[in-house]
Amino acid sequence: MQAIAERVKVAAIFAPGTRMQPVWFEWRRRKHAVTELSYFWTDHCGDATRLHFAVSDGSNVFELSYNLQDQNWTLEGVVEPHP
Amino acid sequence: MQLQRIILHIDMNAFFASVEQQSNPELRGKPIAVIGAAKRTVITTCSYEARAFGVKTGMNSWEARQKCPQLIFVVGNNRKYTYTSTQIIRIMREYTPMVEVFSIDEAFLDVTGSLSLFGSPQRIAQLIKERIRADFGLTCSVGIAPNKLLAKLASDMQKPDGLTVIEPHEVPRVLERVPIKDLCGIGPKLQQQLGKFGIKSCGELGRFPVEVLKRTFGVVGEKLHLMGLGIDQTPVVPEEESEEVKSVGHSTTLDKDISEREEMLRHLLQLSEMVGRRARRYQVAGKTVSLTIRYADFTTFSRQQSRTTATNNSDEIYRAAVKLLDTLELTQPVRLLGVKIGNLTQHAEQLPLFGDDRKKALLASAMDDVNNRFGEFSVTFGTLLGKDGGAKVISPAWRPEGVRNVDVE
Repeated sequence: MQAIAERVKVAAIFAPGTRMQPVWFEWRRRKHAVTELSYFWTDHCGDATRLHFAVSDGSNVFELSYNLQDQNWTLEGVVEPHP
Repeated sequence: MQLQRIILHIDMNAFFASVEQQSNPELRGKPIAVIGAAKRTVITTCSYEARAFGVKTGMNSWEARQKCPQLIFVVGNNRKYTYTSTQIIRIMREYTPMVEVFSIDEAFLDVTGSLSLFGSPQRIAQLIKERIRADFGLTCSVGIAPNKLLAKLASDMQKPDGLTVIEPHEVPRVLERVPIKDLCGIGPKLQQQLGKFGIKSCGELGRFPVEVLKRTFGVVGEKLHLMGLGIDQTPVVPEEESEEVKSVGHSTTLDKDISEREEMLRHLLQLSEMVGRRARRYQVAGKTVSLTIRYADFTTFSRQQSRTTATNNSDEIYRAAVKLLDTLELTQPVRLLGVKIGNLTQHAEQLPLFGDDRKKALLASAMDDVNNRFGEFSVTFGTLLGKDGGAKVISPAWRPEGVRNVDVE
């Protein structure tokens, strides 16, 4: 995975009984629609919990994270397609 | 009358590789190998597609590429795996409190007391398999048997996604032709020693005169005899009932072999801080400090020193480790360094009353507070600035909670 670590704008759905789900994000002036949420996990950085989402826009797989403490989204990295 | 125990062994199939294949749909159905982020690394796990080409855990990347030119290497994400493992163990605990975590991807469950709630052991196994598949898209192999030894053997019999039952009355028939190397606890050396007696299968091991085994292997001889018969009385021990940890340690395989003392000291300081930090978090302190060194040719040895008082202060641990290093005349470049404290005192939270010791403890406590809030190594020793901190590898001793819950990078 190529590390990006950039704050990004994300739209997410909060539906009752399910965990929040990112639906699109903007990165480098391009809007990427999330076509698949393939994996979810959490970790901690100090006392902040971060939610991690492996998402696909149909071309690439991205890792987005949401910091519960400062309520910011970060694009952690992108996985380019394998040849 | 003692109730016949029913033990499940659950083994996640190609765990790290399967998690990566779920995370990245493009990897599904392809030969992939999970490797570490360090420069000098070996394959931690590979997918079943890679295994079909002869790729194995422990191979270096060059060797693996020879076996499978189209192999895709994926740098592992340890936190993803520890999170997934913790959640899976949580699922298991919904069916029985008697869960013994064996490693990050294996656990034993004693479901003897759960049958009235959930039905047959097969149903419990199916329910757990379905939950794991639904929540994570992962498969596991389950073995059901009257004890841990046989449950583990059974889970190995069908991979991936297996469910194998060894009923008590089937034990002699099943074991008759099973090679002894398939039993957990019989490694290559023991296998070779038993081979000298002409013992190759469990059936042969069970029939072999126990007296000869005892004379040759001492107390292990009796155990080997029972293993051959499929008898194992060891209980499933949940985390809260397990013995207190005997030591706290960290080791690191270096990016390249080193001979420079200064460089070794930097690594020792980092390891000492990791040990001290974890010991302070779980309020233990050690009276013995050990230093482990592995040479480039894999020769490994440890030296230890006892102190008059127990410590969990990183600086004191570091100084003791350096003292041990200075007693050695290193004959080769060093590949691995390890620092450990042992002879532990539990609940070691008392603040020293006087002078420098009190200052040191207060400083460590202040550093811990900052690191607890902002993340590991946010504040650290000047010597370590700019160096990557933290554990890079999930130790086999990793557990989802308690002092063995090592935070990994």
